[in-house]
Amino acid sequence: MELLKIESTKQTPEIDFNNKTGVLLIRGRSMSENSFEFFKEVNLWIEEYLNSPVEETIVKIHLEYFNTSSSKCILEIFKKLKKINDIQDKNINIKWFYDEDDEEMMETGEDYQDITDLPFEILIANE
Amino acid sequence: MISSSVKTHTISKENLILEVKGIFTSESILQSLEIAEKKLDILCENNSTKKKLFNILVESLQNLYHHAEPYNTENNHIKNVEILVWRNQFCYYIKTENYIRKENINSLRTQIETVNSLSKSELRDYYKFSLKNNSFSAKGGANLGLIDIARKSGEKLEYNFRNVNNDVSIFELKIKVQK
Repeated sequence: MELLKIESTKQTPEIDFNNKTGVLLIRGRSMSENSFEFFKEVNLWIEEYLNSPVEETIVKIHLEYFNTSSSKCILEIFKKLKKINDIQDKNINIKWFYDEDDEEMMETGEDYQDITDLPFEILIANE
Repeated sequence: MISSSVKTHTISKENLILEVKGIFTSESILQSLEIAEKKLDILCENNSTKKKLFNILVESLQNLYHHAEPYNTENNHIKNVEILVWRNQFCYYIKTENYIRKENINSLRTQIETVNSLSKSELRDYYKFSLKNNSFSAKGGANLGLIDIARKSGEKLEYNFRNVNNDVSIFELKIKVQK
């Protein structure tokens, strides 16, 4: 299995998924009107990763902007990754970063925590 | 509250942020967003307001792209729309216009009225419920767009349907964001 690296664009986020370290990073803007298409490749990678996840998977998400169609895609990613916890009996942690003045993005993190019931840390980004 | 048309008032050049009229393509979304973002960088002092506005604009333009109907079936790939973004002393406004088939008016009206009837915390619950339970529609957004716009705006959505002919009307939507 290979690492998944996708460069960011004006409308799509940077993806840096590492199956060796178990760190999966999504960062930037996710606001393409066709986000479902963009996340197809990401979902395929995750499905393969689910066959042999590391002991502790850490998902780091830091989004500046995202649209509602991406919000559905990100929920699908969380649902898939939850299997690590439920079936594989290995750990998964979500680190949801938001910019200090971005209350909406903090609330979005809380909403996902509520919906997915995954272990979430909601943190101010210091970049 | 439905008025006979959604008022835009007179907009001076200094207060006009974006004006798009005519045929709308996926490239138009990108171009419009780029222009609007650059202008908001200059005009909007408050970063949080700027983010809200930009987010609402993204959703509005993508709603237009996915849901605008052609004026007639002979030109069924052509989507004519109108987008206006402007400000006054206290607020920013985004106004969009697109054709809608008459049979779709009632369901859209119900959606907007539902969103308008909810408080801030109810909207948040409704968003979570819809995100969790709605399946992905062919057009993508699973009806989350309007809820998201209303949440970010913090104001009631103003709208109107203007009769055009037996088949289509013009749907006007005006969104307000406090400075």
